[in-house]
Amino acid sequence: MSVPQITGVADDQREITRLCAQAGLMLLQHGAESALVESVVRRLGLALGMEAVELVLLANGITLTTIRDGVCHTTARRNLDRGINMHAVTEVQRTMLLAEEKQLDAAGVARRLDEIKPFRYPRWQVSVMVGLSCAAFARLGLIARGAEADVWTFVLTFVASAVAMQARQWLASLHFNPLVNFAVTAFIATSIAAQGVIHGWVDSPKIAMSACVLLFVPGFPFINAVSDMVKGYINTGISRGVMAVLLLLACCAGIVLAMTVWNTWTWL
Amino acid sequence: MNTLLLLLQDFGLAAVPAVGFAMIFNVPKPALRYCALAGAIGHALRFTLYKIAPLPIELATLIAAGVVSLIGVYWAQKWRAHPKVFTVAAMIPMVPGVYAFTALLALVEIERKGYSEALLRTAMDNGLKAFFIIAALAVGLALPGLLFYRRKPVV
Repeated sequence: MSVPQITGVADDQREITRLCAQAGLMLLQHGAESALVESVVRRLGLALGMEAVELVLLANGITLTTIRDGVCHTTARRNLDRGINMHAVTEVQRTMLLAEEKQLDAAGVARRLDEIKPFRYPRWQVSVMVGLSCAAFARLGLIARGAEADVWTFVLTFVASAVAMQARQWLASLHFNPLVNFAVTAFIATSIAAQGVIHGWVDSPKIAMSACVLLFVPGFPFINAVSDMVKGYINTGISRGVMAVLLLLACCAGIVLAMTVWNTWTWL
Repeated sequence: MNTLLLLLQDFGLAAVPAVGFAMIFNVPKPALRYCALAGAIGHALRFTLYKIAPLPIELATLIAAGVVSLIGVYWAQKWRAHPKVFTVAAMIPMVPGVYAFTALLALVEIERKGYSEALLRTAMDNGLKAFFIIAALAVGLALPGLLFYRRKPVV
């Protein structure tokens, strides 16, 4: 009786599995929705000569199997959130498209994936733009109410949110838990806006207090959560949705603490 | 103020948060102007449908998000990137942040002061509004995939 032969995984299949895992993990870490992760990884594997690529996605990990000539190779990776970065997502997707057009082989894909350095805007630029964004939100809020434009409301909103954004980026660079980060920075933003209310600098304190914390609304996770669930990825959708609600709650804690300290209950 | 002027103001103001948040999401520099344009078109379209037509805000949001998403698909194919690179930042001006915060703060107030119907009403009204608008945004963004690109990828 012959011993059943155990087929080994060829080296190139192992390498392609690794590349697929690397690409998928990079997408997941930088805030791509589940449908995109799955389609990019599958197409990358097929472009590099696999017969099938099967992918299981979780919020904090990814497991994938490549299949060729009846030989399966499976690998799992742990996911650590690196923050939303559309530049990294775009680069991974373009690598996949190049592989699909046969302009890159496995070695080329590996080189390109390794070369991706997620691009970040300078912190002060982001803070200034986010400050302006919240000031624009304040103006939109005033229009919705039919109130007069008040320059000092915008200035106060701008200062409060720009300072809070700077603090948020600084705390994030020190690797604080995002929940702690959001609570502390929401406290800072509300405290600055509350000074305007206390000293009577502005005509519409309520608008300034509410607009300066709008930079904390986790819009991207919320939209990703719903689109995941609409497309059938209920698991990751729920994880993302719960995380987004927790971030909002953390901000609320910061806002309530600030309103208690300064005794300015203008929200409700 | 006349309506056209209000609409123009809305168009200009919405572009600012679209770019600001696109920078938080680290959208590549050349794509920032598309985010600004898409954000302005989306918010101004919603303003038109909601204030002038007048449709309910959720429906207006769904239509505006759907239109922005279709524009995003066109840009995505030209630019070889996923449409969400442009469109999610464009949705940010329409995200119901104030509703969401008001709902949660009302819940905190119930905890602090004890139950009252007015507070619970504030929490429910604002929370449901926020939920439905966010659902409309996400479903609107998914519309091209649900209607036209059913089994094939956009890019």
